[in-house]
Amino acid sequence: MIIPYLTALTTYFSYGLLFAFGQLRDFFRKSVDWWSASTLQGYAPICLGLEDFYIRRLYLRIQDCFNRPISSPPDAWFDVVERVSNDNNKTLKRTTKVNRCLNLGSYNYLGFAAADEYCTPRVIECLKKYTPSTCSTRVDGGTTILHAEMEECVANFVGKPAAIVFGMGYVTNSAILPVLIGKGGLIISDSLNHNSIVNGARGSGATVRVFQHNTPSHLESVLREQIADGQPRTHRPWKKIIVVVEGIYSMEGELCKLPEIVSICKKYKAFVYLDEAHSIGAVGKSGRGVCELLGVDTADVDIMMGTFTKSFGSSGGYIAGSKELIQYLKYTCPTHLYATSISAPAAQQIISSIKVVLGEDGSSRGAQKLARIRENSNFFRSELQKMGFEVLGDNDSPVMPIMLYNPAKIPAFSRECLKRNVAVVTVAFPATPLLLARARICISASHSREDLLKALEVIGTVGDMVGVKYFPAEPNKQQVEVGQVKKVD
Amino acid sequence: MAILYVRAAPTTDLNRNTEWFTYPGVWSTYILILFFSWLMVLSVFACSPGMAWTVVHLSHFFVTYQFFHWKKGTPFAEDQGIYNRLTWWEQIDSGQQLTRNRKFLTVVPIVLYLIASHTTDYQHPMLFFNTVAVFVLVVAKFPHMHKVRIFGINADQ
Repeated sequence: MIIPYLTALTTYFSYGLLFAFGQLRDFFRKSVDWWSASTLQGYAPICLGLEDFYIRRLYLRIQDCFNRPISSPPDAWFDVVERVSNDNNKTLKRTTKVNRCLNLGSYNYLGFAAADEYCTPRVIECLKKYTPSTCSTRVDGGTTILHAEMEECVANFVGKPAAIVFGMGYVTNSAILPVLIGKGGLIISDSLNHNSIVNGARGSGATVRVFQHNTPSHLESVLREQIADGQPRTHRPWKKIIVVVEGIYSMEGELCKLPEIVSICKKYKAFVYLDEAHSIGAVGKSGRGVCELLGVDTADVDIMMGTFTKSFGSSGGYIAGSKELIQYLKYTCPTHLYATSISAPAAQQIISSIKVVLGEDGSSRGAQKLARIRENSNFFRSELQKMGFEVLGDNDSPVMPIMLYNPAKIPAFSRECLKRNVAVVTVAFPATPLLLARARICISASHSREDLLKALEVIGTVGDMVGVKYFPAEPNKQQVEVGQVKKVD
Repeated sequence: MAILYVRAAPTTDLNRNTEWFTYPGVWSTYILILFFSWLMVLSVFACSPGMAWTVVHLSHFFVTYQFFHWKKGTPFAEDQGIYNRLTWWEQIDSGQQLTRNRKFLTVVPIVLYLIASHTTDYQHPMLFFNTVAVFVLVVAKFPHMHKVRIFGINADQ
């Protein structure tokens, strides 16, 4: 990560100023409240100390840039509901007006978020036949033939012998890790892992160690140190070591250095847990994820996890592994035993979208979608970099964060883009480090070339206005007509 | 003008409240804020440079004592309160003592004290207040004072 030095200084100063003003306002609020009587004498306070300081004094000031409600499916263009505030953003009220905006924020990598000509009729038929909810857990009465077919379909797609599917992606991570490992085990996770993994690791009771993001050499040194030390206090050998990494890191757009990490784990006999939430279906020649892209044999990755919310337009998460592992999970995982199973139409959407991606529906739309998302991502990223923006992420990755740094540029960028009918997602502290606030763009296969050009024009104008072009722009070369192969649908 | 870039190394600190201190530019910002506040005090109060340095030193003492050694926990709720018993000073660098950041933060009040006492020519009563301030701050930053609450001041129930 390359940061302009002056920007770092001004960013720290801005946050210091915001913090100081927040403290000043809190001080006056406390003095004023001391005089007024409180009806809650003797009750414990809801928030301890400064816990809600960030929400009250920093987040609420720019609340209109987050949590925007939409009123149409999140396709390439969608309707954003306008909101107004009468008390300086403390509360927001929805109006009846909607804005038709270009969608650069949804995880709609393959374009399945809107109605699809193969998937939607089948899902509607399934909804009529099986009703929206199974009203039961998997073990009681919630396993239909769709569920069995879906698990087989997913296992074939991912390249593992068996798979198990849950109704929610977050829960897949946070409920599986405690089942796989317990006290006396070691979890080594990447420092930028998603909150669901952190939650699951904390809930498991195992010792958690963190290694520097995507740095296999640091992973090796942490492994060596931990294996030599053993369990804390007793120094007995660890019962099990699991290394958790993600395929594409959603805040960086970077691909994981999987071949090196897998070879290190094999050397030290640690298990590899790969979370492919953003990469399954979006990268790889046939969409099979980061293993296919980087040439790693799926037999080397012990546990592959993923979600269906991003590329498949459904909901839910899966775990794929060996037959013994999946059988063990079916006996012990609380989500399988006690949580309602995934709804039947969602299962049908998963099956149909996987069939489209693999080309089993009889057309080549799957291959076209994959080629289009790759083309779109590479084109957009290179154009943004030519304009002088600092864009993170590797080639072929559909997630591209544009670095903003200063806290004032976050609402400026977001609001100016919305005025020009482009909806972007901006991310700030504490989801990202304090200094590194960014606007995250997710490219979809349903974005056409005109959509991307409009987005580039708007982002270019707004970037100039807000001042986020931190790198020198490349000089305008002659307009070279790139031979566009006309896709016949 | 050429733009100066720095490379930020990825950290392993999971505590978002203290992780920002490991990125480049923090030390320079801290020193620049102290210098500019001295200039502001000089221009607002029109006093001698020595008095201005004393004012900066004492307000620095109050602000850093309040935020580094008194307030506990983090200003957001995502970490579910695992740091609720620790002050900011006890949280940085995951509790490791005598790291570079801690040494820098110990040296700054000492240097400020030397500048303040030198520019006031070691006169009373400024010298007394400055000495008390630097004594309290430096003792609070000792490795042996990690998680120590004297006489139960600022301890939890």
